[in-house]
Amino acid sequence: MGSQVYVNGKEIENPHEFHHHVAPKKQYVQVLGALLVLTVLTVAVSYADLGPLSLPVAMLVAAVKASLVCAFFMHLKDDDRFNVFVFVGTLLFVAIFFSFTLFDLGARNAVNDEQKTFEYWNDEAAAGNALKVGVDHVPEKAAALKAAHAGGHGDGHGGDHGDAKAEGHGDAKAEGHGDAKAEGHGDAKAEGHGDAPAGEHEAKAPANHEAPGGH
Amino acid sequence: MAHHPAHADHAPEPDYIRAKKGIMSWLVTVDHKRLGLMYLASVLFFFLVAGILAIALRTELFTPGQDFMSAQTYNKVFTLHGAIMVFLFIIPSVPAAMGNFLLPLMLGAKDVAFPKLNLLSFYVFSVAAIMFISTLVMGSIDTGWTFYTPYSTATGGAATMAVFAVFVAGFSSILTGVNFVVTVHRMRAPGQTWDRLPLFVWAIYATAVIQVLATPVLAITVLLLGLERIFGVGIFDPALGGDPVLFQHFFWFYSHPAVYIMILPGFGIISELLTVHSRKHIFGYKAIALSSVAIAIISFLVWGHHMFVSGQSELAGIVFSFLTFAVAVPTAIKVFSWVATLYKGSISYTTPMWYGLMFLWTFTIGGLTGLYLGTLSIDVHLHDTYFVVAHFHYVMVGGTVVAFIGGLHHWWGKMTGKMYNEKAGAIGALLVFVGFNGTFLTQFFLGHQGMPRRYYAYLSEYQFLHQISTIGSWILAAGLLWTMIYLLHSLWYGEKATGNYWNATSLEWHTQSPPIEHNFHDTPHVTGSPYDFPEIDKSGATH
Amino acid sequence: MSTTSHGSGQHEEYPPYLAHHFDTMGQQAGAAKLGMWLFLATEILMFSGLFLAYFIIRYFYPDMMLSAHEFLQKEAGALNTVVLLISSYTMAMAVRAAQTSNTPSLKRNLLWTLLCAGIFMVVKYFEYSAKIEHGMLPGRFYEAHYHGYELVGLPHIFFAVYFTMTGLHGVHVLVGMGIITWIYIRASRGDFHSGNYIAVENTGLYWHLVDLIWIFLFPLLYLVR
Repeated sequence: MGSQVYVNGKEIENPHEFHHHVAPKKQYVQVLGALLVLTVLTVAVSYADLGPLSLPVAMLVAAVKASLVCAFFMHLKDDDRFNVFVFVGTLLFVAIFFSFTLFDLGARNAVNDEQKTFEYWNDEAAAGNALKVGVDHVPEKAAALKAAHAGGHGDGHGGDHGDAKAEGHGDAKAEGHGDAKAEGHGDAKAEGHGDAPAGEHEAKAPANHEAPGGH
Repeated sequence: MAHHPAHADHAPEPDYIRAKKGIMSWLVTVDHKRLGLMYLASVLFFFLVAGILAIALRTELFTPGQDFMSAQTYNKVFTLHGAIMVFLFIIPSVPAAMGNFLLPLMLGAKDVAFPKLNLLSFYVFSVAAIMFISTLVMGSIDTGWTFYTPYSTATGGAATMAVFAVFVAGFSSILTGVNFVVTVHRMRAPGQTWDRLPLFVWAIYATAVIQVLATPVLAITVLLLGLERIFGVGIFDPALGGDPVLFQHFFWFYSHPAVYIMILPGFGIISELLTVHSRKHIFGYKAIALSSVAIAIISFLVWGHHMFVSGQSELAGIVFSFLTFAVAVPTAIKVFSWVATLYKGSISYTTPMWYGLMFLWTFTIGGLTGLYLGTLSIDVHLHDTYFVVAHFHYVMVGGTVVAFIGGLHHWWGKMTGKMYNEKAGAIGALLVFVGFNGTFLTQFFLGHQGMPRRYYAYLSEYQFLHQISTIGSWILAAGLLWTMIYLLHSLWYGEKATGNYWNATSLEWHTQSPPIEHNFHDTPHVTGSPYDFPEIDKSGATH
Repeated sequence: MSTTSHGSGQHEEYPPYLAHHFDTMGQQAGAAKLGMWLFLATEILMFSGLFLAYFIIRYFYPDMMLSAHEFLQKEAGALNTVVLLISSYTMAMAVRAAQTSNTPSLKRNLLWTLLCAGIFMVVKYFEYSAKIEHGMLPGRFYEAHYHGYELVGLPHIFFAVYFTMTGLHGVHVLVGMGIITWIYIRASRGDFHSGNYIAVENTGLYWHLVDLIWIFLFPLLYLVR
């Protein structure tokens, strides 16, 4: 009985069998080829404007690639069924996590201000109000940056990113940067940053949108 | 059958405690039994620490005004009480401490599947504990154990450290969970099919599955919260464009299943205690076993019931409320089966049995009041009151801790080789029962009358109930201290435990007490159910 | 429960790489592999939180995501995708070499994998430095609007998501490089052959998972419009 293995309480005749499968080299090469082709495909598709379809298409291609990696590189195709079960089961729980959370976020009809978190900022932007971005939440740092870049911006940072800006995104509606009048800097205008009325967003923000204590 | 064949053909082997000597032999041990004991010592230490904090809280609440704690201090103390109890005591208590010790023994295996990983898990847990304790000197935390945003992104103190401590503790929990799932799948003794597993193993298995599936989401949640505090990433913080309710989704996707990480192992212990001490085959073996798995799965579908008044959508609230009731079904199956097990059993009133019976009472109250809170409309009224506090203490203390103490008595001789004093045990159980119900039964009434939780002061109309509750907590503390004293006393002066002092049948009783280093002299072969008590089979109910 | 005891003569042919508490290599390898799959499950669930955060941000701030993602270098992302796919292939070949007891091929393929991982990290380094230079930093550190970049909405969230996702993925690549190095050292000692290769296989599984996550990260962050 020395070499017997008991899986699930039952004797297994040939315990080595369930993980000993050597696939031919050619198969690996083919899978790699398929993965590279799919990569080219997904990049190519990203240049064609598919509109609302672009996310599902990209996810579909990624899912096919992932399945290839799982089935062949990770040997799930010939593996113990239970490992497949673990993997698929995991995806099921990911699906539960995603679907319930997204369901709630989608179903919120903002009965009160607390529920408006995301809409609040979109409404602000749509109303043409300046949004407080990034470093503007740290007044001291923002002031220092403002001083450093007072001579106008674009200083040497054109480079490869310059053209991205010209692609017609961000046509200026919401770019006013939460500006610094509240912090006592009168030079906001000189910088050419959005000059939305100072402090307006603070004034409008419902109390719950302001984390207490400042940062 | 109750007796293992004599070991006459074996040379006497030292037990696992005496097998190796020196402090290093403990620090680098990969023996699951020694690791179980090390976990046990750690979690009991944290139980003591958090228990002292609880008594301090209750004592502050003896009078309506401020006694010896300011509001700020009170916030810090209840946060620390909750966080230590949850992350450093209850979650590792039964799975990591007793599970480690018992699982391989019950499976007839020499060790868990990955002994070194087990040791690593213990040290990861220790690091988490040290990180947590270090928050005390870094300014403490005052967020509550749930770390709700946006307060947790804005408050000062050591919240970042605490959050990363939870992250590390989660790792330990994951490693233990992976280890146990694999152990149950691959390390069972010959003949031990799924329907011959002790129910404790089923419970630990279901727990381990939850640990594996839920804890990673906690890890990413607290990681994001830590990053939110350091970088202000703007996912949870509304001031930066995030959604604080999203944090609650992330948090409760872990923490609701975590409630079952805490209670399922308790269920497992109770299944063992009630059968062994009533000498009766468990009623509805399959139902109890599968209901553990059902609870594990359903527990992932109900997290939104913590968020009924948090700003989640009304529709989601309705759906989560409906699904919440589904949990009651497998849980009720268990309770009914336990009661049916006792029916016409030959009950011996040992200390483990007292705790088993206490569990049936307190857990049932805890479970049923959960249905009140799961009802959307009633929860709007009861949310964030003492009713909630009472409910989860009935489940966590009245359920898990009571089962844990009962199990500790049941397997004390197996673990340590010494027997505790039965009379002392009965006195302790009585004190715990009176103290516990005195503390928390009153809180249902307080909550129903509108006393909100987490306040250091209150209106004088609540004083009477608060004082009963505080006095109850002192009795509870006395009971637990008494228990600690006589258990420690037994280590030096207790009677020697025999190999099978309860005449029980599962595999851990087929080796000596305490077991030898490799658990069994010979690999046991299993041919029947772990609950076939011979005297019942023959003649009905004689003891 | 009835039990019967059998003689304990099962240790006759105990290979040195078989741990004491297992009976056979098959049991040991099966346990190790199941353990690895469970660990991968935890990894998937952990990353799923980040993906969910991404989808939510994208759902609520579509214009911001579109404008901000244009500042990522598609070419660098594509190059890294190809590099990681090739490394996945060489890793699979390494496992195959171990299965067939071909130690020289095993070592060679491990080195190729390490090289690809190294290239990945170097490309990542250049990408990160470009972002940092232009002030496109996560959250409260975001200052690109002082460098002359006008992005729609709240771009600091996009860069926070970008740095968190790629950063956590990068940490996994670094850990993977460490493990592969360790496996390489063990392979040089001649530890692996057709009877004992589970460590190589598990390393491979981990490495493929790192690839798998990148397969989703790449289109989501760099491509989707």
